[in-house]
Amino acid sequence: MLKTLKLTTLKKRPAVLWLLVPYVLYLGALPLADRIHPTALGLPFLFWWLLLATLLTPAAVFLLYRSDRKRGRV
Amino acid sequence: MNATVATTVFGVFMLLTVALGLLAARGHGRGGGITEWSVGGRSLGTVFVWVLMAGEGYTSFSYLGAAGWGYNFGAPVLYVVAYLSCGYAIGYLVGPTLWSYARRHGLVSITDMVAHRYGRPWLGALVAVLATICLLPYIQLQITGMGVVVSTISYGAISLDQAYFIGFAVTTGFVVISGLRGSAWVSVLKDVLVIGTLGFLAVYVPLHYFGGYGPFLHRLTAEKPQWLTLSGHGGSGLGRTWFITTSFLNSLTVVIFPTTVAGYLGARSANALRRNAIALPFYNVLLYVPMLLGMAALFIVPSLTGAGSNLALFKLVVDSLPAWAVGVVGVAGALSSIVPMAVFMLVIGTMWGRSVLGAVPALAGSPERQRLAAQAVVVAAGTLALVLTYTRPDTLVRLSLISYEGMAQLVPMVLLGLVWRKLTLWGALGGLLAGGALVCFLVFTGRDPVWGVNAGALALGVNLLVALAVSWLGPQPADDRPDSEVLARDPGPAEAVVSGPV
Repeated sequence: MLKTLKLTTLKKRPAVLWLLVPYVLYLGALPLADRIHPTALGLPFLFWWLLLATLLTPAAVFLLYRSDRKRGRV
Repeated sequence: MNATVATTVFGVFMLLTVALGLLAARGHGRGGGITEWSVGGRSLGTVFVWVLMAGEGYTSFSYLGAAGWGYNFGAPVLYVVAYLSCGYAIGYLVGPTLWSYARRHGLVSITDMVAHRYGRPWLGALVAVLATICLLPYIQLQITGMGVVVSTISYGAISLDQAYFIGFAVTTGFVVISGLRGSAWVSVLKDVLVIGTLGFLAVYVPLHYFGGYGPFLHRLTAEKPQWLTLSGHGGSGLGRTWFITTSFLNSLTVVIFPTTVAGYLGARSANALRRNAIALPFYNVLLYVPMLLGMAALFIVPSLTGAGSNLALFKLVVDSLPAWAVGVVGVAGALSSIVPMAVFMLVIGTMWGRSVLGAVPALAGSPERQRLAAQAVVVAAGTLALVLTYTRPDTLVRLSLISYEGMAQLVPMVLLGLVWRKLTLWGALGGLLAGGALVCFLVFTGRDPVWGVNAGALALGVNLLVALAVSWLGPQPADDRPDSEVLARDPGPAEAVVSGPV
């Protein structure tokens, strides 16, 4: 029942997947990003990566919001 | 002289805080019952919700613990940014869902919600008691955080014990009267000061001590590389697995955390919450400042140890700025304790006023009396936390992790339960007790993290398994209400436009 519930949500509203973006950036990609070099402007790579994720997260949520609005979902 | 200037600045702002908090209640004071006090009459727009939730998220931990972790360990502290961003993002779905559920059924807290969902008022009371146990250390944490900030920025003129009491008095002074609305108003002052002072320090400290960011970061990567990747400096045991499991667990927990939910329920519309979910992660950029400056302190005050490292940031501030500026930064730090403390006390009051004392016949069905009870509980909870602070002081971060890992065990009961009818009362309760017991065991026997995994995350897994097994095999409580009455859903446009105090 839970699975069917989730699946119907996904079929009707695939843009919900945008919410996975922060999880992929912060957590999924972490083993790859956990390094000092290359640095840019002196800031270690890990810090850059997480800063980037912090700026991309609102963008991803915004894309979901835009999709919801287009479909008259919200 | 310095002490007088900084203390005066601090004192003026504290009076301003109480005044602002009390002003917020003007014209809203009477007749609204517990809904007006606990969730601001469900009337806050996008901006106020943002200010309030940013205000709650940015606690004294951000100034003290974040700098202290940066100083002691380095990179592991970034988990705070990770979990807050992930949590704010899924708040896009969770916020409106909880908001519409609470609004349809006239609920004011998560304890109310579980009582309604499972049709058992005593379950609400039980969850209120458990949640209070998790929240009380948090109030204490804010009081101690405020204490060290105030005593540092007053150059020692205000003692720790006096500062603890000031924190308690200022917070209680406005939250008892004006509830969530007062907290939101004070958050405005707080956010302005926090953004202003951290923005300034982010530029000033590297320039003042290192001649700019380039030299600072160069020295950092050259001399302190252990701080710059996981698991950080000093054999902390806080490796990648810990980072990922902790951030994941906390991102689920923060969306049902009673204080976050108070912010959700205060919103005027579901769309206010959705827009908020977009805007909130930006606030996290500010968290990098205390973390980086905590590491900058490694070069300037290299010998801080233990709880002293929590002052990494403020040592630099006192060392490098004139007294009036020290006072202003101190006010920002103090307000970062006061606002979260106000909301913590508010939700404890709400949970007890509605779900515990609200079950007493004299209070049942009377929102006005429930509100009075809630206000009394606020004073009692604050006093208890203050007394604990005087008698059982403790270090900052550890306590907050226990609170979080404990609160996390409510995730299946609240989040899963509200969307999945087949999770039974006994399943949800069994999972909660199993997960809660495991957290207590692991944390109090010093086994957190366990095999590199956050103990709360492991406990949540056990919690979920028990909940599913008991729901499947255990007794099925009779409940003939339709799904639409019991379950929550993300509201569509029709529901979103309804407004006005309910």
